Amino acid sequence: MSTAAPPQKAAPHRERTGGRLSNGAFALLLTAPGLALFATIIIYPLVSALFTGFFKQDLRLPGREFVGLDNFTYWLDGDFLTILKQTLVFTVGATIVPFVVGFALALALNSGLKGSGFLRGLFLFPWVIPGVVVSFLWMWIFNANYGVLNGILMKAGIIEESVSWLGQPGTAMLAVIVTKTWASFPWMMVMLLAGLQTVPKELHEAASMDGAGSIRRFFAVTWPQVRGVASIVLLLEFIWNFQHFDTIYVLTGGGPAGATETFATAVYQTAFKGFDIGRATALGGLWMLLLLVLVAVYLRITERKGDAR
Amino acid sequence: MTTSGISRRGALRMFGIGALGVAGAGVLGACAPSGASTSSNGGDTKSKDFDFTSWSLNEEAAKPSIEKIIAAWEKSENSKIRAVSYPYNEYLSQLTLKLGGGETTGAVHLDIAWLAAVAQMGKLADLGSAAMKGGYTNVALDSGMYDGKQYGLPWNTGSIGVIANSKLLEKAGIKKHPTTVEEFEDALRELKGLGGGVVPYAAATKVAQLKDIFPWMQTFGCTLLEENKVTIGDDASIDAVTWYKKLHDEKLIAADVDRFDARALFGQGKAAFYDDAIIGKGVTAAQSKDKTLADAMQPMKRPVLRAGDTPQALLWGGVIAVVKGKGQDAATEFALHTTSDRATTTEYFAARALPPSTTAGLADPKVAQDTFTTEWTEKITDTATGSPFWQFARNAQIEEAVAKQVQAVLVGKSKPKEAMKKAAEEVTDLIKR
Repeated sequence: MSTAAPPQKAAPHRERTGGRLSNGAFALLLTAPGLALFATIIIYPLVSALFTGFFKQDLRLPGREFVGLDNFTYWLDGDFLTILKQTLVFTVGATIVPFVVGFALALALNSGLKGSGFLRGLFLFPWVIPGVVVSFLWMWIFNANYGVLNGILMKAGIIEESVSWLGQPGTAMLAVIVTKTWASFPWMMVMLLAGLQTVPKELHEAASMDGAGSIRRFFAVTWPQVRGVASIVLLLEFIWNFQHFDTIYVLTGGGPAGATETFATAVYQTAFKGFDIGRATALGGLWMLLLLVLVAVYLRITERKGDAR
Repeated sequence: MTTSGISRRGALRMFGIGALGVAGAGVLGACAPSGASTSSNGGDTKSKDFDFTSWSLNEEAAKPSIEKIIAAWEKSENSKIRAVSYPYNEYLSQLTLKLGGGETTGAVHLDIAWLAAVAQMGKLADLGSAAMKGGYTNVALDSGMYDGKQYGLPWNTGSIGVIANSKLLEKAGIKKHPTTVEEFEDALRELKGLGGGVVPYAAATKVAQLKDIFPWMQTFGCTLLEENKVTIGDDASIDAVTWYKKLHDEKLIAADVDRFDARALFGQGKAAFYDDAIIGKGVTAAQSKDKTLADAMQPMKRPVLRAGDTPQALLWGGVIAVVKGKGQDAATEFALHTTSDRATTTEYFAARALPPSTTAGLADPKVAQDTFTTEWTEKITDTATGSPFWQFARNAQIEEAVAKQVQAVLVGKSKPKEAMKKAAEEVTDLIKR
């Protein structure tokens, strides 16, 4: 009779053997330099800045005084809601408008339009120009007294007197959104075009054979296929616009009379024009809390997409 | 499906966390305290090489003359000067940050309105002994003093006043400069009647230069500050802003105008009046296609509320200060030479129409016989006063706080009374902070 030897159990994973590092410890060792750098250039300034929000401190002068929540209540009792509203108006406008323009162009370029390769390159042009340059160009276009836009509109007989596009609360935000749209739509167009090019032609052909018209095909075939890309593009653009600074600062500096003031311009003005670093960091802290919400939404969406797969 | 142990979901999550980290750092990292100190900015004070920071090096009309002064100094002293510049409207904040961070050394060009704010940082050298050698006028020396110490050697001393375009006035049938606010308004309406996009008075309406409202407030009787009590918000200041709003609504002044826009409009022959320092003649005429414009530019007494009142004007000028530390000695000599050497100041005057600040320089025939300069001194500088807010470190913020409230009135977001009340509260808070 033979006795079969019982199968041997796999040896338990040993954390440390003969001076060798475990996988976890080895991974930690590899990431340590990166973590140290992250802690130095991200975590330290972040915590330091959050801490500064509780002090009265002038950027130019040494010393500071603990003021508790004063800097936070200064904003919450003051302009916080106005700034939040204006930031949202800019963010929504500068996200939706370029999305619509970019999507329309992506659809046109994907339809096999003649010269679409050239047009794709042409439409990318605004994207490669630095944001500050774009803003200066548009500042001259919108200039109330010698701007191109007023010149064209007056010659066309649409307006009789020059309009102060950047000097009136009603039009200033519009002008800022138009400028940001010009700079942003190419990126959205490229991303959406990439999404559109992954839609199998067979689906369109099958839908056509079933009698679907172009609108029906768009909603039944195209949109479901690109919805994922579109949602990511929209959310990322929303987050970026929520922090956007250069276009607004160059065009209006947050004016007229604070009509285009967003978190980015308000923090800058308070810190680097008013040198009031305590109040600036307090507003920065509140702004970051709102950004956290947006990033949580982003993570939730990407998680859902992951689950769906 | 995963590859290399990282799922797509994980990668996206990491991307999101990374975005948050970068966003958080961008938002708050920029606000981290600078650790400003009141010591020297370091380096060898005996070094022959130093920096010279000036906003004028950023302006086409001024750059060649200053570069010439720098080149001459470098040649004679066998040294190297590094020229640094920021646009005027960004100058104070940029300079403050660089100075606080220890990055600015050498000689620094300052508007006299900024001297107190910069001197309070404790980085500037006392130039008292150098000032004794310059032969400066007393008024000029005062403009470079703060808290009893001579922090700046006066380069140019003048004022900000109203400049008129005599050609446009003639075209509108205006025979003499208006002397009262009422006459001024009538003249503006006549000029508006010329059509062709003429802006009768290219007054500042952008925040950057809306501090120009102060002399108008004083014209209407507001003192701005009395023994540390802010008087903005009184009836006179409300009347001044109400009047400014009236000019705006009647399109006698234009929206969206700062000093640079005003110079452009005036240079195009589209503005009949605008506010500028004496420097304006050189800058505006240089950028105009009309080569006869310089002859048509006339300094004008600011109209008064009632005949017999004193015309209001704001003192204006530039000083050269020196940062403690690297190249301090050579920079002090350079500042002294640039601001007081007779040949240098006279040549600078010839190029830029900026009168010198020394008794000898002012007596030079080229300066003394210049009609525009003489008229400017008689009509504007003679009654000019400094702003009572210059003594405060937060002067720039005070000016901006008032400017924002005035702009709110102009664009219809606020009423003059409530805007001036709010301005007074903000200015009071800024003085106390």
